[in-house]
Amino acid sequence: MEALGVRNIVKQFPNVLANDKVTLSIEKGEIFALVGENGAGKSTLMKIVYGLYTPNSGEIYVFGKKEDIKTPQDSIKLKIGMVHQEFMLIPRFTVTQNIVLGDEPHKGFVFDYLRAISEVREISDKFGLKIDPTEKVENLPVGIQQRVEILKILRRGAEILIFDEPTAVLTPEETSELFKTLNALKQDGKTIIFISHKLNEVMEIADRIGVMRRGELQGIVNKSETNERELARMMVGRDVVLELPKANVKAGDEVFSVSNLNVKNTKGILGLKGVSFSVHAREIVGIAGVEGNGQAELVNAILGFLKPTSGKISINGKEIKLITPYNMRTRGMSYIPEDRKRRGLVLPFRARENIIMGQHTLYPFSNRGILNDKEIDAFATKKLQEFDVRPPDIYSKAESFSGGNQQKIILAKEMSLKHNFLLASQPTRGLDIGATEFVYKMLVEEKKKGIGILLISLELSEIMGLSDRILVLYNGEIVGEVTPEETTEEELGLMMLGLKRKERVQ
Amino acid sequence: MKEFFYRLFMNRRREKYWWINLLVPLVSIFLALIVGGIFIQSTGRNPFLAYRLLFNASGLIPGPYWRSSFAELLLSSSMFIATGLSFAIAAKGGLFSIGAEGQFYVGAVVAAFFGYSKPFAGLPSIIHIPIILIMVMLFGGFWGLIAGYLKAKRGIHEVIVTIMLNWIAFYLIQGWLVPTGGPMAAKVETGVSGTPYISPTAKLPIILSNTRLNISIFIMIAVSFLIWFLLYRTTFGYEARAMGHTAIYNMEAPKVSGVNTSKRIMQIMFLSGAVAALGGSFIVLGILSQFPPVFEGGYGFDGIAVALIGQNEPLGIFLSGILIGALRTGATSVQIARIPKTFPQIIEGLIVAFIALHELVRYLLLKLAKAKKSSVTEGSVE
Repeated sequence: MEALGVRNIVKQFPNVLANDKVTLSIEKGEIFALVGENGAGKSTLMKIVYGLYTPNSGEIYVFGKKEDIKTPQDSIKLKIGMVHQEFMLIPRFTVTQNIVLGDEPHKGFVFDYLRAISEVREISDKFGLKIDPTEKVENLPVGIQQRVEILKILRRGAEILIFDEPTAVLTPEETSELFKTLNALKQDGKTIIFISHKLNEVMEIADRIGVMRRGELQGIVNKSETNERELARMMVGRDVVLELPKANVKAGDEVFSVSNLNVKNTKGILGLKGVSFSVHAREIVGIAGVEGNGQAELVNAILGFLKPTSGKISINGKEIKLITPYNMRTRGMSYIPEDRKRRGLVLPFRARENIIMGQHTLYPFSNRGILNDKEIDAFATKKLQEFDVRPPDIYSKAESFSGGNQQKIILAKEMSLKHNFLLASQPTRGLDIGATEFVYKMLVEEKKKGIGILLISLELSEIMGLSDRILVLYNGEIVGEVTPEETTEEELGLMMLGLKRKERVQ
Repeated sequence: MKEFFYRLFMNRRREKYWWINLLVPLVSIFLALIVGGIFIQSTGRNPFLAYRLLFNASGLIPGPYWRSSFAELLLSSSMFIATGLSFAIAAKGGLFSIGAEGQFYVGAVVAAFFGYSKPFAGLPSIIHIPIILIMVMLFGGFWGLIAGYLKAKRGIHEVIVTIMLNWIAFYLIQGWLVPTGGPMAAKVETGVSGTPYISPTAKLPIILSNTRLNISIFIMIAVSFLIWFLLYRTTFGYEARAMGHTAIYNMEAPKVSGVNTSKRIMQIMFLSGAVAALGGSFIVLGILSQFPPVFEGGYGFDGIAVALIGQNEPLGIFLSGILIGALRTGATSVQIARIPKTFPQIIEGLIVAFIALHELVRYLLLKLAKAKKSSVTEGSVE
């Protein structure tokens, strides 16, 4: 039986055709994955189904009946629920208050909180989603917050559940928890639509997979009849090489080192404990670890946002006494930030303005404090071409570029700064396959050029594929130092969870 | 000259529907006048008469007595432009400064002091006035810098500090410096209350005979241009705007790029204070000739409205400063239509309200623009 059908959906945005005659049919009780690069139109399609956008033309069928969905209220009535990438929860409210918000049980005019709690208990028992109904949402980890969102739509009687990149914010453990939930919901007869660009996850969870590229549906395949490589080809339109040949070059002099670094985080807890390591020229040092085990503290300490309680940081063998981003950069550090929108770009600035940030005080971009437009424009035009940023319009605002192209702008900016040490903090976070490939190529090229790279990543495959040496960070400590040749992902996984230690004898 | 205009408008021209930025304040003003008219009508008075009286006396439209009302218009506008720019400089740098009021007071009292006190009072105008203006900007800038320093070094929110500094300035001046017996009060035997009158050499030169119009408006034209230049043509402005755009993210993007945000915050607040104080000096050097015992302020807070209407752009603030100046100049004449003279302030409030709703106005305008466009294209298809 068809749970959801869309026929010939067309959605035109001012500059792009987001959906071009998309037709697909989703069966009741299946997990249907919709994959595609960022900007392929998969989220747009689902937002149309949910009533957040109205299509220019096309029809939507829900359980066999043609429906006119204009607002999310319409779709909720039709038992469609959506879990958004960014949660729409009120942090100060309790789990129960969040779940019943908008449809509160009441006695006359009085909100019946006790009944609400029992309703939440009931529904969480029914679906096996354990939760404490009286806990405040702000105290919950992200994975549990997502569970609150799921319970919220289940309580409204949702039969079709849409998940918009639900794993983007989750740790690997939380992801496998979520997948258990999804399978349980499937057993219950719910229909699940799973939007993602992570192919390994899709291959794990989905029954059928629809691939979108540039607004068009490229095809629908059964999971049993396909593999990641084929999906990647359908998504990008060509073969994608994510496994790069290791550039085997001999490491040079030390370019960066930290020794015995202790850092307290903003909560006053010791986030890094006695961390020491060094990075040499022509070497990629990978830092593996589950998010929240000291990565943020390490990056912030290197930038000077957090002051170490003890320990020292040196670049090119010289200790930096006063650590500020300016001092680090003038001594040869470039930085690919983990959060593009927050740290990498000034979103309302144009590409041309973003691309000179950090070198805007240097000749020829400015002379005695006065900007030189001609030089800036020429430089930006050249860089956008060199890094294949699309569209190559230097006057476009940074916020109007897709995630991958935003990352390319950041790369163009950081690579053009004079540097011999690169701090790459989750450089492929949230990027699609095409852009990820680009970043990998870039890193390998940098390495060949003689630059020492510190790669902090949550993706094990990335760490394994790129690094020459791997350090494992667990609970603020380095619990292992290995090379990718002598280890396996399983071993790394154990170390990341703190179950195994492997320290090199110095 | 062509180059100058090109640069002045270049930032806008690249955008689709760039003219909406211009139209939003204009439509807001128009809507405010309509709603204001409805108010007047509902109290049984004639809105057309009121507006005719208001604008005839505002100095915007040539007519009888135009010369003097035009002079008054520019005279008050220059002060609104100063406080408006003061707010906008801070706002562009991501700081919400409401300290223009206090800085205006500081500027006024410093101008009075250097205007009457001895070693300076004897100097020729050409030296005396620049000395006064420089001292005014230094003291006003210092008043702003206090808030900037506390924000940059101690992380104290600038809104709280600037509010408190306003009161500190107010009571320091009106409670201690100026009242009879205070260090700056005129001697009792002179019969003057408030500070002594400033020396004639301190008065700003008149540029339109038989009126009070002085060079303050020229000063503000120059200052507006300089601030535009600073914001859009220099690395200082580039960094300030980057900070303003990322203020919600704690200015992290400029910080990681190596911008010294603490230093910039202090510089921005200094500049903001200096410009507001400049406005304060105009009221003493051009209008009152002393710091009176009871000082009617409010220019600082009106500056926020001016900056909002002008969309924080120097050119926009210059124009909106003129508009607010015109409304104030024409204010008294509406009494002929039996309307209180505070009525133009209602119009001001309405304009600000509609500007605050600019997303709505923008949305309506965009819808209008698109509807027109699609009807044109559809027409051509048929």
